[in-house]
Amino acid sequence: MKLANWFRRKKLETGLERELRYHLDRRISDLERSGLPTGEARRTAMLEFGGFTQIQEEVRDIWLARWLRDFLYDVRFSARSFLRNPSFTITAVLSLMLGIGATTAIYSLVDQVLLHALPVHQPERLVLIDWKGDQVANGFGSWNLMSYPICRDLDQQKQVFDGVFCRALTTINLSSGGDYRAATAEIVSGNYFSVLGVGPALGQVLTSDDDAKPNTNAVAVISYDFWKTQLGGASDVVGRKVLVNHHPLTVIGVAAATFRGIDVGEVPSLWIPASMSTAIIPGLKDLHDRRTRWMQVLGRLPQGMTLRKAQAGLQPWFKAMLKEDMRRAGFPVITPERLQTYLNSSLVLTAAPQGHSGLRRRLLEPLWVLFALTVVLLGLACLNVSGLFLARGSARDREVGTRLALGASRGRLGRQLLADSLLIGLAGGVLGTAAAPLAVQALIAFLPRDNAGTALRASIDSRLLLFALAASVTAGILSGLAPAWQSGRRSLVSSLRERGGTALGGVRLRKAIVTAQVALTLTLLAGATLFIRTLDALMAKGPGFVTSGLVSFGIDCQRSGYSEEQGNQVIRRIDEAIRHSAIVQSSAVARFALLTGGSWNNPMTILAGKRFSTEGRDINLNAVTPGFFQTMGIRIIAGRNFDERDISAPGESGWRSAIVNEAFVKRYLGGRNPLGVRICQGSGPDARPNVEIVGVMSDISYRGLRERSEQAYFPLGGEGAATFYVRVRGKPESSFQSLREIVRGIDPTLPLNNLRTVDQQVDRSLNTEHMLASLTGSFSALALLLSLVGLYGVMSFVVTQRTREIGIRLALGATRGTAIWLVLRDALVMLLVGIGIGVAFVLALGRLVESQLYDVKPSDPAVIAIAVLLLFSAGLGAALIPAHRASSVNPTEALRFE
Amino acid sequence: MTSRFPIPQGTLDMLILQIVSLEPIHGYGIAQRLEQISRSVVQVNQGSLYPALHRLEQKGWLKAEWKQSETGREAKFYSLTACGRTQLVAEKESWARLAGAVRLIFNEGTRS
Repeated sequence: MKLANWFRRKKLETGLERELRYHLDRRISDLERSGLPTGEARRTAMLEFGGFTQIQEEVRDIWLARWLRDFLYDVRFSARSFLRNPSFTITAVLSLMLGIGATTAIYSLVDQVLLHALPVHQPERLVLIDWKGDQVANGFGSWNLMSYPICRDLDQQKQVFDGVFCRALTTINLSSGGDYRAATAEIVSGNYFSVLGVGPALGQVLTSDDDAKPNTNAVAVISYDFWKTQLGGASDVVGRKVLVNHHPLTVIGVAAATFRGIDVGEVPSLWIPASMSTAIIPGLKDLHDRRTRWMQVLGRLPQGMTLRKAQAGLQPWFKAMLKEDMRRAGFPVITPERLQTYLNSSLVLTAAPQGHSGLRRRLLEPLWVLFALTVVLLGLACLNVSGLFLARGSARDREVGTRLALGASRGRLGRQLLADSLLIGLAGGVLGTAAAPLAVQALIAFLPRDNAGTALRASIDSRLLLFALAASVTAGILSGLAPAWQSGRRSLVSSLRERGGTALGGVRLRKAIVTAQVALTLTLLAGATLFIRTLDALMAKGPGFVTSGLVSFGIDCQRSGYSEEQGNQVIRRIDEAIRHSAIVQSSAVARFALLTGGSWNNPMTILAGKRFSTEGRDINLNAVTPGFFQTMGIRIIAGRNFDERDISAPGESGWRSAIVNEAFVKRYLGGRNPLGVRICQGSGPDARPNVEIVGVMSDISYRGLRERSEQAYFPLGGEGAATFYVRVRGKPESSFQSLREIVRGIDPTLPLNNLRTVDQQVDRSLNTEHMLASLTGSFSALALLLSLVGLYGVMSFVVTQRTREIGIRLALGATRGTAIWLVLRDALVMLLVGIGIGVAFVLALGRLVESQLYDVKPSDPAVIAIAVLLLFSAGLGAALIPAHRASSVNPTEALRFE
Repeated sequence: MTSRFPIPQGTLDMLILQIVSLEPIHGYGIAQRLEQISRSVVQVNQGSLYPALHRLEQKGWLKAEWKQSETGREAKFYSLTACGRTQLVAEKESWARLAGAVRLIFNEGTRS
């Protein structure tokens, strides 16, 4: 609040002046009245009073501490000199704005996705519990999965945990009265909320009692977001029923407003007790099966318990449980080697203050890479501003020299410089931060829209502001470092003696700065080239099937209350209707969608002469209708397509035949005729290879474009859920309405999931690559611009400084060519040295991004050559302009100028 | 002049609060009152009154207002705030305790 005094200092000053004046005048007139002559009275009064200005100064120090006052005067002085020089100021502020804005925007994502701790009670005590080894179990889902009973067991290990809960994300069809929509639900153990320490905003949250007996507590807790957006924040929501996959669940409460689940990428609409999961989730038969792993398990450590101690404390119980499980009924028959891996398994605890997130896993590296690149960009911007300051510094040389001569201390001048750079830094920071939300919005658009769009926010919070402030101050100080160093070395005498002279020290520093800029720019350019090449290579490779004109959508009948058998009939009817539609060229049905990142996968046993299994390596599996290969444009290389012969007879279990891909043949059946070889799922001694390979297909991408996997396809059976692939006539988007109507004609309540063109799906599966390529591309364009401006600036300065010298040389008979060379030589040195350092950077740092690349090595000579060539030619171009000016110097004028 | 002893550091604030507590008064008035009350034994460099006044105003113990003075000219009149009043009471108390303690020690010294 003392700072407020700064802004009313005018008023304070006049007040003080009047007050002191009043005192003196009164004293003088009192003294006069007591008989002193006028002059004497004035002298005495002044003497009694003490120094007038000294008192003023003392009072000013009380209004505002002196250092702060001085600093504010410096800032005011800086601001005025900036305003007098708008082109300098705009360039400097814009440079920093770009750097700080980009860094802040990326940091916003880094913070939200990677760093932010869950808004729960003491999140630092949360740990993720994972099984290292072989669980000898079937998995549903992706990472860190364990069974529900193991979670219950772990919860009993009170010596190690304050509590252990488990959760699984699932997609459900949800209706709160109106239409069915696909939504995300979190299936949780009853103690989920109590272990996390999350309470209700309304009603109550789930407790262990809700999870005690299977299928008895048809209740759910809804999320605050769902309550506000879908139910209009109705105050009577507790007690209402919602339909989840056509099962009515009673809402018992709304979770706390800040709590959005433990996965930053997936905000659940509601939480359902695990005891209800067999009733609600199609395909989950037995919640208490110890060999079905589908949930993530997290625990809370007691105060003072370390990860290492907890992990050690679990082992005795865990080893005993492994042995006990082995003797249980239903434990599969496995090979001795596999049994050994099972028995050697251990539990691994990792700190999980941020919860568990697939999005985080996927974006971990790309985001850090981007963040590092923006920091480089910010560094470049700082160098640019440094260069500008130095340029301005040499223009102000005489002013500074005069101030020094008049007695200003070097510290005082240094403080002035500090004020300059802080002011520029903060101005850039304010603009950058203001622009950051827009940039974050644009960034989020690169991420998978269905989850990131709802989960991530483009708003500025206090953490982000703090970051932006730190970045601005650091950027400001860094920008001011070089000029401060330079001014510290300045000799007073020479600067006064010079007459528009040659501040060579400043030029040397500026050249070093430009060299550094060139090096950093080359690093960014090479990075961008790598990521663009990666994206290009993936796009050129494609998924291995024809995507144009192809539309896909998913149907899950069991989520809409059908039995498995009824569901299969519905899918057959939809398939039939689509195939007879006029807009459709051909269509097919697959059990699982392609290019979504997931797959149905299992190890297999192969009987080809000898019997062996793909132990330790999963085959990606799918089940399709005969039209699949033709519709997708996948070639059958050997053997035949599926037909009536492959349809299992009623009552017959399992498949009769399979089609495998080339990669499968190459890896497992190299040199053999694959046709007639028998295979089956599973790798245990009890697996019966009785499925015959009838055909071989060309390789296609299943999970994503990067992978090359072994695949096997079976004829489509059932399970009441499927993905339709439809090749349509005309524009694919225009078919969406007709497809919706066809499905509505069969069941109006059945939602079409993920209705989109396959081209869109390909783009989505490449969104990380798109993001890296476009962002590094734009970053390096900015970097190039910044360093060209730097190079141009310093070269122009040099030419101006050396006009006289060049004039003399020309007068003495030097050619224009020599004049150009004189200037260009300097630029070449900077470019070549910078490029040399940059190449060293690229070679040293390349492996950090290797995992993000496809079909290109970070040290690829072509990539480096492209970046070098681009930078070199652009740099040469920027240097040629001042060089040309040097060559057109008129000797007579240059000499007269002196 | 030299026979008057300089005012101890920190005591000036207390004296000012005391004087202002009687009635709203301007700086010159305070200077005169200090002279009178202390019967010219305490020497205050008159100018140094003003930093003290502004410090007390910044602390919120005094508030000030421009009013017409007895000569007809406008002067800055200081008066005590509620906060300043509490402060004065506290300072008086601690002064009394200190003085008492010092006296006690001196008495002790003369007795032995």
